[in-house]
Amino acid sequence: MFLEACVLATVLCGFFGIIFKKNLVMKIIAMDVMSTGVIAYYVLVAGRDGLFTPILSDRPLTYADPVPQAVILTAIVIGFSIQALMLVGVMKLSRDNPTLESSEIEQNNTP
Amino acid sequence: MSLSTTIIWIALPFFAGFLIYLLPQLDRALALVGALASIAYAMLILTGYNTLGQLSTEPLTLRLLDHFGVTLVIDELSGYFILTNALVTLAVVVYCWNSGRTAFFYAQMLMMHGSVNAAFACADFISLYVALEVSGIAAFLLIAHPRTDRSIWVGLRYLFISNTAMLFYLIGAVLVYKATLSFSFAGLGAAPPEAFALIFMGLLVKGGVFVSGLWLPLTHSEAETPVSAMLSGVVVKAGVYPLLRCALMVESVDPVVRIFGVATTLLGVFYAVFEKDTKRTLALSTISQLGWVLAAPAVGGFYALAHGLGKAAMFLAAGTLPSRDFKELQQQPINSGLWIVFVMAGLSISGLPLLAGFGAKMSTLEHLLPFQTIAMNLAAVGTAIVYAKFIALPHEKQGNLNSGFLGAVAVLIAGLLIANLGYLQAYTLANIVKAVAIIGAGWLVYFLLARRTAFRLPRMLEQFEHLVGMMSVMAILLFWMVLA
Repeated sequence: MFLEACVLATVLCGFFGIIFKKNLVMKIIAMDVMSTGVIAYYVLVAGRDGLFTPILSDRPLTYADPVPQAVILTAIVIGFSIQALMLVGVMKLSRDNPTLESSEIEQNNTP
Repeated sequence: MSLSTTIIWIALPFFAGFLIYLLPQLDRALALVGALASIAYAMLILTGYNTLGQLSTEPLTLRLLDHFGVTLVIDELSGYFILTNALVTLAVVVYCWNSGRTAFFYAQMLMMHGSVNAAFACADFISLYVALEVSGIAAFLLIAHPRTDRSIWVGLRYLFISNTAMLFYLIGAVLVYKATLSFSFAGLGAAPPEAFALIFMGLLVKGGVFVSGLWLPLTHSEAETPVSAMLSGVVVKAGVYPLLRCALMVESVDPVVRIFGVATTLLGVFYAVFEKDTKRTLALSTISQLGWVLAAPAVGGFYALAHGLGKAAMFLAAGTLPSRDFKELQQQPINSGLWIVFVMAGLSISGLPLLAGFGAKMSTLEHLLPFQTIAMNLAAVGTAIVYAKFIALPHEKQGNLNSGFLGAVAVLIAGLLIANLGYLQAYTLANIVKAVAIIGAGWLVYFLLARRTAFRLPRMLEQFEHLVGMMSVMAILLFWMVLA
């Protein structure tokens, strides 16, 4: 329960960072924090019945569920590639908007 | 329809897309092959034949691996969505044929086509997540393709909002897994209310539904013409399709989807009536049409087809206009050829008989629940007002239009005329009178009132931070809706 609360706090920290941080790079980092929280939650769900790696052995052990871990691996890769793509976009934008203030960029680029 | 055909069909656009990087000379041909293969596949589903030539009306359900693996469901509903995707992609390839676009553009277009196809076939939350994220990345690359500051910002904003929404969706997905040990859509019924709220919030944002869809007007109006046609015609439907699928699979979801359908229709049409910019009007009308698709989940597929074809044609024609401002367009006559496209596509979306929009609108109106009827009829009149703006533009005979444009529009309009034959039961006297009355009422309101309004709606809700903040509001709203 305590761990669940921590994970939720991480997700909310990231989410509020996206809203309240002014700098575009900080917003992207906040999104990364949020996705870290989501990944941690998957790991937490995977470990709800046990923590051992699911490898067949003689001793009776309580195994961690491999399915959420496998699934979140895909999501990590996707999230990582999206972040890379966004940072490239931000690099391009920084040439004409060196402060990278999102409200400024939005004002300049909205008809 | 066998397993191997389906897998080959899903993989083909990706394979062709990556092949373009190796053989850039073949870019247009490969894109054409990808689109035609999807048309063939969709026709097989809609005519009800499997690959062995036997007639089967059973939906095809594929389960790869185990209960936690990939689940695919293919039936008539997905058939209509796949056909929409295929025809719009085909039209866009034809439109771009002589425009000298780079191989990269066609490769991304195929990736987008493939990922949207995958979204229309899958029935579990994780495959859907992957498909939606890939379509988001491809859409970003297509939007940012001109590499101007504005296009990069618009693309970045789109990617940011959709990725944030999908993070919430992922939390919802794991809650479903925790409750049912499976990621299948069917598990939504047994999942806790917070899982439902988070998943639906993600899909509402991705599908451009209600206030969380207000990222859509800027994105769709600032993208290049062929990209807007694809975004509005099919890509948003990748977010709407799973809502329909869930509503059909899980009974308790159905009323929520219907309520959002009505709310979206009214919101979109209200904004669109007062808009003064052509491409923004079309984008706002997309929001309202998505509401029509959601309002009656059982027949949403046919509506999505009719809307996708009509809207893609409208966007391609609007991109050829000399200006985007209705005021300026009312002063200088447009090319008659363009005007005919506006009339055909606009009347189809308004629901005139002999075009696919008529059957779609009538079948949706027939499948409404009593509480939806008045609002949806009102929205139908609103839609007629919105398209009267395009149909009332002055026109005269001018030079020839671009051959790529004509080819693309021919595909879409032919699609509208042929799809009309798919639902002949709609042709009763009462329905025809009703459709004509709705359009007549809409035009009357337009010429008497709407034409003269100089009223501008505030665009505050379209700002980036408000869009992100609205996600939390929507999540809470959904949570209460499901508890109530």
